[in-house]
Amino acid sequence: MVIETPQYPFFEWLPLSLMSFLLVCGSLLAVALVFGYLVAALRHGPIRAFTITARAIADGMVDLVSISPRRVMALTWLSIKDSIRRRVVVVFGVFILIILFAGWFLDPGSTHPLRLYISFVLPATSYLVLALVLFLSVFSIPADLKSKTLHTVVTKPVHASEIVLGRMLGYIAVGTIILAVMGTISYVFVLRGLNHKHIVTQADLESVGTTQEAPDGDSEAPQSTGMQKGISGRDHGHRHEVRIKADGRGILERTHDHWHPIVRKTENGETTYEVGNPEGMLVARVPVYGKLRFVDRQRKAAEKGINVGDEWAYRSYIEGGSLAAAIWSFEGITPEAFPKQLPVEMTLGVFRSYKGDIEKGIPGSLLVRNPKTGLTVEAKIFRATEFETDIQNIPKEFTITPSNVYYLDAIKVSEAEKHANEEKDAKDEKNAQTAQADGEQEAGEQIASYKRREAGDDIKNKGKLDLFEDLVDGDRVEIWLQCLAPAQYYGAAQADLYLHAKDASFFLNFVKGYFGAWMQMVLVASFGVMFSTFLSGPIAMLATVGVLIGGFFRTSVIEVARGENYGGGPAESIIRIFTHQNVTSEANPGLQTDVAQMCDAVIQHCLGIAARLLPEFGQFSCADYLAYGFNISSTWISEHGLTVLAFFFVLFVLGSFILKTREVAR
Amino acid sequence: MPDDVIIETRNLTKVYRDFWGRQKVRALKALDLEVQRGEIFGLLGPNGSGKTTTIKLLLGLLFPTSGQALIFNRDATDVKKNERIGYLPEESYLYKFLTAEETLDFYGRLFKMPKRLRRQRTAELIDQVGLSRAKKRQLREYSKGMTRRIGLAQALINDPELIILDEPTTGLDPLGTRDMKEMIVDLRNQGKTVIMCSHQLDDVEDVCDRIAILYEGELKELGRVDSLLKVRDVTEIHASTLSDKAQQEIRDIIKREGSEVLSIGNPTTTLERLFLDIVSESAEHPGRRVTGGANN
Repeated sequence: MVIETPQYPFFEWLPLSLMSFLLVCGSLLAVALVFGYLVAALRHGPIRAFTITARAIADGMVDLVSISPRRVMALTWLSIKDSIRRRVVVVFGVFILIILFAGWFLDPGSTHPLRLYISFVLPATSYLVLALVLFLSVFSIPADLKSKTLHTVVTKPVHASEIVLGRMLGYIAVGTIILAVMGTISYVFVLRGLNHKHIVTQADLESVGTTQEAPDGDSEAPQSTGMQKGISGRDHGHRHEVRIKADGRGILERTHDHWHPIVRKTENGETTYEVGNPEGMLVARVPVYGKLRFVDRQRKAAEKGINVGDEWAYRSYIEGGSLAAAIWSFEGITPEAFPKQLPVEMTLGVFRSYKGDIEKGIPGSLLVRNPKTGLTVEAKIFRATEFETDIQNIPKEFTITPSNVYYLDAIKVSEAEKHANEEKDAKDEKNAQTAQADGEQEAGEQIASYKRREAGDDIKNKGKLDLFEDLVDGDRVEIWLQCLAPAQYYGAAQADLYLHAKDASFFLNFVKGYFGAWMQMVLVASFGVMFSTFLSGPIAMLATVGVLIGGFFRTSVIEVARGENYGGGPAESIIRIFTHQNVTSEANPGLQTDVAQMCDAVIQHCLGIAARLLPEFGQFSCADYLAYGFNISSTWISEHGLTVLAFFFVLFVLGSFILKTREVAR
Repeated sequence: MPDDVIIETRNLTKVYRDFWGRQKVRALKALDLEVQRGEIFGLLGPNGSGKTTTIKLLLGLLFPTSGQALIFNRDATDVKKNERIGYLPEESYLYKFLTAEETLDFYGRLFKMPKRLRRQRTAELIDQVGLSRAKKRQLREYSKGMTRRIGLAQALINDPELIILDEPTTGLDPLGTRDMKEMIVDLRNQGKTVIMCSHQLDDVEDVCDRIAILYEGELKELGRVDSLLKVRDVTEIHASTLSDKAQQEIRDIIKREGSEVLSIGNPTTTLERLFLDIVSESAEHPGRRVTGGANN
């Protein structure tokens, strides 16, 4: 699964985010004060404007602190009743209709059925609820103003803040109820849609003498009799290879992201096979991610691997048949967390400079290295298949052979080189950030390269190496990935290789997935109500949709604001379009280019500010985690939940202030 | 502001502007007004005279361009004042999807009334306005008269000291109008202050203690109704039934100071006459304050 934005630990994230939040709020407040004062000064003169502005702030503060929960609850209840009156239940009808007919279009034979189902139900549910909440929230206060029902509310002892909060909470409550019901229906739909059984008969199987390795890593001793293998019947568009052990128990081997247990039963001389429900499909893997860095073909430390010409620079490539490697440094590796083995899961990118045997994967190896002693063991040789998750279990014990154990000693940079590097990094801030993010530079431990040194007799005489005693330093270990096929390349990003610590509850993960949709809904409701305090319904809807679109494309907008995109800013781009200029070349010099670039400087500055105020809307969706079977971490939930809360608070304050300072009647 | 003065406006002015801040209309011009505790005060004026604007300014629905409106010695924009106010808008702007009971319960909650009190008050008011049989129906099913009644009930949910009524008898049948007027007088008798604006001049005449007449945003007349309606330069004589001969004789006697005169006093004109005279006079002489009906 692609994770482009690094996830910082909560307590690292919190102070930075809090500071950023306070800075933005402070700036907004300052701008609002200056703007308010200027408007008041134009109308009432500079001295009275000061009194008016001060009074507005004082009244606003009083308004915020004198919120009555009882009144807010009354207004929330009113919003819920209002929603029911507006026939929100119709959305359920639409949803049921979609679910009923979805089965026609969802291919049960998909290689990744969970991804298919989740990438259908979660967006379908969230988009329906988002559209509903958008309509409800943006037309709420404008409708009250138009019908003048707000007159009878504001002439009661109700604060503007209570009206805004009541509306926001009301529509959030409606969205929550609908999302909960739809989520429950979706869960049942996914379970029913993915559940299936294959028919296995005696005719499908033949007797064999040995077993293969089971998917959970357990190895069986060869058996002489009673073992069977074959192919199961087709169901949900696929078949499984069947392996049955001598004791009559076996599995339908893993394909399409799942496997089935099978039991052979013999009654009255008749043998039947009972196939269980699919397993391993509805999972919530808890990954332990490491920090990624690279070494080049001479084992020299490198910021990145090789660029193979892919525009998407997410993955960096290592050259096959060389010493180049991608290195993941893990922490928290303890026998308690990994009692049986070290399950490594990889989704590698593969770049072939020649086709080779396309049926076979590109061979590679996994090394395990002690970060302190440098002791390294070649743990696994495997073949990487593209777009598939490779599961490699690194055992707790390694049998030492003459060539599989050695030392990779870290050669630190000399003080002079270190100083030169620091100067270089100071010049190139971006490089410095990348390097730090990748964990290449640790305090006092700047590594230039690695050198192989053969293991001494003391190691070789041990006969076996223990993972936790010999290769794990405290709770730290390194996994090195190397590509063994010359002129072929592995592409790796930090999230491409992780240790599969354990499985969390899929149901809870499903709930967390819907929590992501819920957060998006909260943002829509908050923006909708805030805009509706000063815009008419349709305009408030446009504004909210604008925020959503801006939020989805926030990263791109920031790129434009920073001038990192090709073709210059908006004004320069327009000139390029009409004058048919290439975006990658310098713009033709001249007055029009100068003017356009001056305009762009202003536009980009404004875009930059606007984009930083927008929520990165797509980030609140965790459908990918759910679809790819990854546990949504509590850190993710906490950080995004707090972010939504911050937006909610700011929008609530803003909406309250606007409603308080506007005339309700006309 | 003395304790007896419930409402006071000082130089209250409202100018409506367009989007660009240009003046569209000066709806209210320097209104100075005082409403005393325990009186029924009427605001009269033709359409566009500024009476609804005045009410909206008093309620804080609009902000004054200049001047000040004080209610209970608090600024009109202060939310706290609303705890002692009941407001019946021109058309009962209520949530049509609620029933009468739900409506009163909702507005009761806005006053932070405890549940038991809300129930009690809701039952009392529904009974008082005669909607007991329709209390479970949504307001969308109500006739205009019923809507006015539930509107009045919501205005009284908090047992207010000041009740502001905008066209309280609009849409009511004669019986409903009579009941409404009796209710207004009854509220005054309970010591409450009522301020109302209406086009129904006879209604105002029947219930108001004092009135203010506005024309094009300016205060044209202010005073007690009975005083304003008195015609001072005409003497009125009320006598018992007299024959034609006697009447002739009275005339003669009046000439020569004879016969028995049962009553001699000042006849009154109608409020409607007074109102129309003021409007007509104002239209002929813009900007001049009309001196009132007493000397006409």
